[in-house]
Amino acid sequence: MSLLQFGGQQDLASLIATVMWLLFMMIFFFYPTFSQRIQLSYILRDLEKKLNRLKLIRDDVRGRTLYSLRDFSEAGERLDAELDRLLNSFMIYPESMDPYGIVYKLEHIVTTWEDSFEEAVRELCPKADGDRAKTLTNLVEVARGVDYIYRTVRHYYLLGKKTANIYLVLQLQMLMPQIMEIADAYRQASHAFAHGQPIGDGVGVLAVAKLVKDLEKKTYEIAKDTVVQEVSLDGRRLLVLRAVGPGGAVGKPGEGVRKLMEAEGEKVKAIITIDAGLKLEGEETGKIVEGVGVAVGGIGIDKYKIEEIAKKRNVPLYAFVIYESIAEAITPMRESIAKAADKVLEKVKAIIREKVGEGETAIVAGIGNSIGIGMT
Amino acid sequence: MFQSKQKFGEVPKPLTYLQCLNCNTVNSRPFKDGDHIFKEVEEKCPKCGSTKMLIIGIYVREEKAKTRKPSL
Repeated sequence: MSLLQFGGQQDLASLIATVMWLLFMMIFFFYPTFSQRIQLSYILRDLEKKLNRLKLIRDDVRGRTLYSLRDFSEAGERLDAELDRLLNSFMIYPESMDPYGIVYKLEHIVTTWEDSFEEAVRELCPKADGDRAKTLTNLVEVARGVDYIYRTVRHYYLLGKKTANIYLVLQLQMLMPQIMEIADAYRQASHAFAHGQPIGDGVGVLAVAKLVKDLEKKTYEIAKDTVVQEVSLDGRRLLVLRAVGPGGAVGKPGEGVRKLMEAEGEKVKAIITIDAGLKLEGEETGKIVEGVGVAVGGIGIDKYKIEEIAKKRNVPLYAFVIYESIAEAITPMRESIAKAADKVLEKVKAIIREKVGEGETAIVAGIGNSIGIGMT
Repeated sequence: MFQSKQKFGEVPKPLTYLQCLNCNTVNSRPFKDGDHIFKEVEEKCPKCGSTKMLIIGIYVREEKAKTRKPSL
């Protein structure tokens, strides 16, 4: 029997192919994690491509922020380093081992953080007026957000590569489509903030601004960046609360409602909140849903404060939410969202007529970022 | 300055909607820096020629979907 008959083959080429195949199979036998290694290298290559794109987005947003700040700054060449200092700044969450009083501790830290961040931007851009300084602060926050996303993804990519941990990189790969979508939304948001355009999140503010438009009103500031406009509608007294505009601000609606409730005593018969809410996939943008509770996003401080005072005074809470995606919330306002502001207004008026009697008072709070939405 | 157009998708550009304070005609133009909703601007109304206009909206126009709605 000749060597060529090995394995039932008759020619040299077939023999070589058989031997190669056997050797290949032996790799899997002696090196069981070989297939995992191949998979790992594919995932890492895919992540590297996405990380590069993320870096491009980060650089694009950073460049736009720098360009916008430069117009109002006297820092010159120092501006670049100062921006990096702001991008790398951080806030440490309070200790929650003993949760008693955590909301007020969190509020204190968040307020300090927001104030110092805004102050740093104001110092950097002394030529910017009040509204512009707020908008620039928002822009730096967007740049900081995208920079943080990039650094976090890079951290897990490098950690996964260094430790050859397929489970780590696999999880990251699964999350990447959403992360890329959010990063691209941040990129679009940087355009909106650089030019002071209204964003989807501002729909609540837009709705209440339309509610008080052309009505005789008394306007005063109740909390930082938060104003109240007192109007009369169909014999009902409305205390309309919103963030001051047209600079980018969200104000302190929780503190505003609390102070109003303290000042008004038993007169307030309903608290109505209007805000943008995250829609589920497949749902229509600009759809209005109504319910009960406090429609306020964020980390929960404002929501907690309104719930606490409402419960203490036994005042019902009504909420209107305008559906939009996370990307639509931070990018220039879409037509369907802008039109929803008019529709929600009619619903708010209807609930006021139904739940608040003539001569009684209600608080209507328009929640969201007031960028590009002036005072009426 | 930025290479957005080559590297990234186009960013939607909003339009500014202005209402004439004299004849209430509404017209639109591309957004300009400094525009904000409820700002009074001195721009000529294309219908009556009045120069007092109010910005009543700034938003990205959406094309009506040509494809039929998914059944799900």
